[in-house]
Amino acid sequence: MSTRAETDLALPRRRTRPHFGDLALRAIAGAAALTVLIVLILIAYKVTQQAWDAISTFGLGFLTSSEWNAVTNQYGARDLIWGTAVTSFFALLFAVPISIAIGLFLSELAPRRLRGPVGALVELLAAIPSVVLGLWGILVMGPFLEAHVEPFLIDHFGWIPLFSGTPSNVGLLPACLVLTIMIVPIVSSICRELFDSVPSELKAGSLALGSTRWEMMRGVAIPQVSGGIVAAVILGLARAMGEAIAVSLTIGGTARTGWSLFGSADTLASRIANQYQGAATALQTSSIAYLATILLVLSLGANLTAALIVRRIRRRMGAR
Amino acid sequence: MQRFRRSALLVFAAGTVVLAAACGSGGGSTTTVTAGNKNTASSKVLTGAGSTLVYPLVSQWEPDYATKAGVTITYGAIGSGGGIDQITARAVDFGASDAPLSADQATACKGCLQIPWALGATVVTYNVKGVPNNLHLTGPVVADMYLGNITSWNDPKIKALNPGVSLPSTKVTPIYRSDGSGDSFVFSSYLSAVSPDFKSKVGASTQPPFSTGTGAAKNSGVAASVQSTDGAIGYVAISYIAADGLNQALIQNAAGKYVTPSVDGIKAAADAVTTAQPDGSIPLVNPPASAAAAYPLSTYTYAIVPKSSPKAAELKAFLTYAITDGQAFGPDLGFPPLPSAVVSSDKTEIASIS
Repeated sequence: MSTRAETDLALPRRRTRPHFGDLALRAIAGAAALTVLIVLILIAYKVTQQAWDAISTFGLGFLTSSEWNAVTNQYGARDLIWGTAVTSFFALLFAVPISIAIGLFLSELAPRRLRGPVGALVELLAAIPSVVLGLWGILVMGPFLEAHVEPFLIDHFGWIPLFSGTPSNVGLLPACLVLTIMIVPIVSSICRELFDSVPSELKAGSLALGSTRWEMMRGVAIPQVSGGIVAAVILGLARAMGEAIAVSLTIGGTARTGWSLFGSADTLASRIANQYQGAATALQTSSIAYLATILLVLSLGANLTAALIVRRIRRRMGAR
Repeated sequence: MQRFRRSALLVFAAGTVVLAAACGSGGGSTTTVTAGNKNTASSKVLTGAGSTLVYPLVSQWEPDYATKAGVTITYGAIGSGGGIDQITARAVDFGASDAPLSADQATACKGCLQIPWALGATVVTYNVKGVPNNLHLTGPVVADMYLGNITSWNDPKIKALNPGVSLPSTKVTPIYRSDGSGDSFVFSSYLSAVSPDFKSKVGASTQPPFSTGTGAAKNSGVAASVQSTDGAIGYVAISYIAADGLNQALIQNAAGKYVTPSVDGIKAAADAVTTAQPDGSIPLVNPPASAAAAYPLSTYTYAIVPKSSPKAAELKAFLTYAITDGQAFGPDLGFPPLPSAVVSSDKTEIASIS
């Protein structure tokens, strides 16, 4: 009886055709994602194509050779990879603790009224153009380091290979510090967002159980967002590896592999920026494109590693 | 409501397509109109790029030539290497370089002429607290400084050349050009000519592989770097010495004299070397001992122009102006006028541009 009543009712037909708006949205969003992928592949392809001359001439020996000679036409990336690695490592070493501390301060410790202004000021640091930072680096920070900081480090810690050498107003140390200043705003604003996103029940529960503020942060907040912090650090690393202008102004340009933080060195990005225009021979242009390929591979590798680490952390968190 | 939204979207999409088509065809017609105009309106503009050495002279030519011929010259001082790159890509109408084209560059440029259009020099400059201007140095000593063999300013070799000057123990910091530079070419050519050690370890090039020191971009960068570093030694084009108030080192020439970098010294070098190389360049570096008053780091600077150019007429007019009337601006900036033999061979070259 009831079924007949249902079938007798003239129910409005449900639309089974998709909305035109849905289709359009899918198409546009899909196209945007596809465009990004295409641009990435095209960039990688074109750069490798330009570098092919050097890749076929030098092969993988390019990575271990420290020659860079436009007269004999011999090129090698070892000193530059070393410079990139050292500057990025120390920039992260200085920037990550500072950024996590700033994130914790702004999300947990600062008086509520202070959070807005201080947060805005930290983010303002990111608005400084890199060329301005580089200029400040050579005009202000470099001479300051040479006159006061480096002699102090050499006198008291000169036995550590890092602090051996003679004071100079350019070199690895000014470049590392400039990179630190560039990385801190990015990583700290991400950290702050992450700490803000920790569920307040977790924080409150921990405090209610009697933990101190620091124990709560160390035991609850930081582990909860550790995946995000790794991602933020890798973002900072990518910024540090790719920075060309500010580094080229403060680092001095004479590539070398050595432990001392004082004295000229060079990085991949800075060498590309300095020498791309006006390369003396075709092989030099191709070698510079080879440097760009190496930089691309390093950046993509760093991002992939970050994705893997984040996934593993998430899996562990989910399993708990 | 949904029908309204859908038709609105359709109208919007159709509108975009129509607009794109209109812009496309309109753009097409605009470009043809511009191309047509190019032969009249924008032919009043000549763009060039390259050497920072010749830049002070070109910037004097720009307003003067605009009044005389009504053609605007736009020049970008990006360094000789950059100028060669730009003219090879035909992104500019003329390039300027203190270094002649290398074999690779000449092939890539596909039929480019190099026309010497000014005489200049590269000057060794230094900044050491307590050391006065016009220090005496020799080529081999400067080479040793750039090789890292001489590391402090009170080295016996420098003291021997300057008996009356008290030299401090400041560390020597060599400053060099990090970009592709004609001044680097002149400097490294000279040091290669007088120091076999330098020649084998570094050699002559627009980007010599210096193993020690600090790089700076362009003449202005080197000047700034030298001025801000105590104990620095560097090399800049001659106009920058007076313009920035830098010290100049007097380099001993082949005749044993310490010649001041000046119009007379450069002129003496140009008079001593009159034969051109097969590629049209005239190297003036390290002139023979017979030229007693010659400054050893003098150089011609070249305009690099394609043999065939859509703006051939304007190029020829401008280059003729540069080697004749334009030379009048030179002496105040440290550029002596071109020798008459060079002017006449230049005129023959310019006539071959079509």
